[in-house]
Amino acid sequence: MYKYFSALRKECLILLRDKAGLAMLFIMPMALIIISSLMQEFAWNSLSKDPVVQILYVNNDKDSLGYNIEKGLRGSGSFEVIDSLNNVPVTQNSAKAAVAKGDYLIAIVIPKGTTKAIRSNVRVMVAKTLAGFGMINPLIMRNIALSNSVDISIYFDVTVKSTFKNALINSIKANNYRIETEMVFKTFNQEIARQFPMYNPPEVNYHEVLQFKESFPSYKTIELIPNTAQHNIPAWTIFAMFFIVIPLTQSLIKEREEGSLFRLLTMPVSYMNLIMAKVNVYIVVCMLQTFFMLIAGIVFLPFFGIPRLQLGNDFFALTLITLVVSMASVGYGLMIGTIAKTHQQAAAFGSISVIILAAIGGLWVPIYLMPTFMRTFSQFSPMNWAITGYYNIFLRGGSLFNILPEVMKLLFFFLGTVLVTGIYRKFKSPLPT
Amino acid sequence: MPDHPIIEIKKLSKTYKGTNEPAVKSISLDIYPQEIFGLLGPNGAGKTTTISILCGLFPPTEGNVSIDGLDIRSNLDQIKQLIGVVPQDIALYPTLTARENLTFYGNMYGLRGKELRNQISDFLYVFGLEKFANRLIGKYSGGMKRRVNLIAGLLHHPKIIFLDEPTVGIDVQSRILILNYLKEINKSGTTIIYTSHYMEEAEHLCTRVAIMDQGKIISIGKPSDLLATNPEFKNLENVFIHLTGKDLRD
Repeated sequence: MYKYFSALRKECLILLRDKAGLAMLFIMPMALIIISSLMQEFAWNSLSKDPVVQILYVNNDKDSLGYNIEKGLRGSGSFEVIDSLNNVPVTQNSAKAAVAKGDYLIAIVIPKGTTKAIRSNVRVMVAKTLAGFGMINPLIMRNIALSNSVDISIYFDVTVKSTFKNALINSIKANNYRIETEMVFKTFNQEIARQFPMYNPPEVNYHEVLQFKESFPSYKTIELIPNTAQHNIPAWTIFAMFFIVIPLTQSLIKEREEGSLFRLLTMPVSYMNLIMAKVNVYIVVCMLQTFFMLIAGIVFLPFFGIPRLQLGNDFFALTLITLVVSMASVGYGLMIGTIAKTHQQAAAFGSISVIILAAIGGLWVPIYLMPTFMRTFSQFSPMNWAITGYYNIFLRGGSLFNILPEVMKLLFFFLGTVLVTGIYRKFKSPLPT
Repeated sequence: MPDHPIIEIKKLSKTYKGTNEPAVKSISLDIYPQEIFGLLGPNGAGKTTTISILCGLFPPTEGNVSIDGLDIRSNLDQIKQLIGVVPQDIALYPTLTARENLTFYGNMYGLRGKELRNQISDFLYVFGLEKFANRLIGKYSGGMKRRVNLIAGLLHHPKIIFLDEPTVGIDVQSRILILNYLKEINKSGTTIIYTSHYMEEAEHLCTRVAIMDQGKIISIGKPSDLLATNPEFKNLENVFIHLTGKDLRD
């Protein structure tokens, strides 16, 4: 057993003496958590009071719709509405040119008479409806046509993502529907009042009955509202944990290339003893990495205005899932480090495969947004099992019982990687032949 | 020469997977206790493969090897206790000190505690490194690294030592120190199997040499006997060139 502890001590000393390696192992993942959380928070939430996206706005309408859309954009807190460039009012052409050059991401042009066209259409529709009741002569209405549609031009820079584009268009459409509905309501009142002078239109604004109440049912009795920290920290933590592949494979290959492994294999010590010492040290490193990344979410992110990470109810379950994710990551690194012949092979395959596993595991794009065949693949990514486990604890307030399937899968994955390593080593000498 | 060899090699062959040509072709060889046996040959002759098999790194494809009466296939763990290996590469951890490296390797040989500490101190003293015991190996000169590399294979006082080019790339002083020490431990009973490209060194150090080429032993005997059977050559290097040719090897 002391041979194992001696190998353990050696691994610890080598790690502790490598200052740059330590910084990479602990500081970089914390930086990743902080920066990625900040980016996502600023991009999608209105955390910042400063507008984040500048929009060129050309209001040729000068009426309700034009003013309401402008008011809506300014009120969202996410946009800075710009209506003049170099003290010259923006025109459709100058807006289009500015977006084409990449100076601005978005330009919106509301054509002249847009509100007038909507209003006229609403009037015709109301009149046609009332004609059905005999309140207006149907013969007069028969020949009155609806106005032609009006195009609101929105110019997007080519780099704008489709999700963002759709969100903006939907927001403008929603604004338009609200205005149209209000107009219909108002026009009906006006027409009825004209037909029946005794009718006194109510002094109430249109009120939307349908309200959307968001709710997040979980295992917890007190509801936990998901936020950037709860969603992103587990995902980036798992991603960083699997990057243990790089230092671990480097350590394995370096030992092989420098000749130490050659010497060790001539000594009365089992290869498994040496490997398990290395594996155990890196599992501890991986768990410490996770600890620091969670600390970043609890302590540092609130300084930037991001909600504090809530660790869930069950500390034991959290420790267990962290342990098995660490084992899975280290097992994966062990397998690659054993099979790869050179540092370059290990680094290239290790990093790219981790990125692929993260992508199909749903760390970047939620699985429910993936096409069906990708969803099938994602079921086999250890990162998918890991993120499900963490979400069960962090978001759903689950306990040990709720993460057991993921724990078992990750444990089997670890055992699988060790088995593959053992079989490969049995048939292939670790030494250059 | 004692009656019983300490290393017996019978019809040893090794063919690596994926190759058709054997690296070692049915060699037979006896090495006796307290010999300094030189295994010489150009690159690709099969020296490293032979030594690797003797150290238990690869199993032979054919043939038998016994070390101190123990069959290498069935008694590898016991054999590993008897041997010390000094590889050609500096097989040390550069971010550990000399003492930390030697403690780790000593532990792997089953040594520990005060015995190991004393052993390390004694070796470091003998090799003139006691002042640098706590300096990182990465900061050692080439000669100093080579000396620590040698100590790591000697710590457990093995009965047989395999040395692969132990003096390559070092200064004359370090070379003399290493060779003198090897002669000393040989006198006290250690068998040494040694490979080198320095023919002059082998001629003066070895009690017997085997010249290998293309996986076969092409000549074996005392350096003086090899010179006697090839009287037209003045030294072992000339005999070596005569036997192996001047063609460059991979």
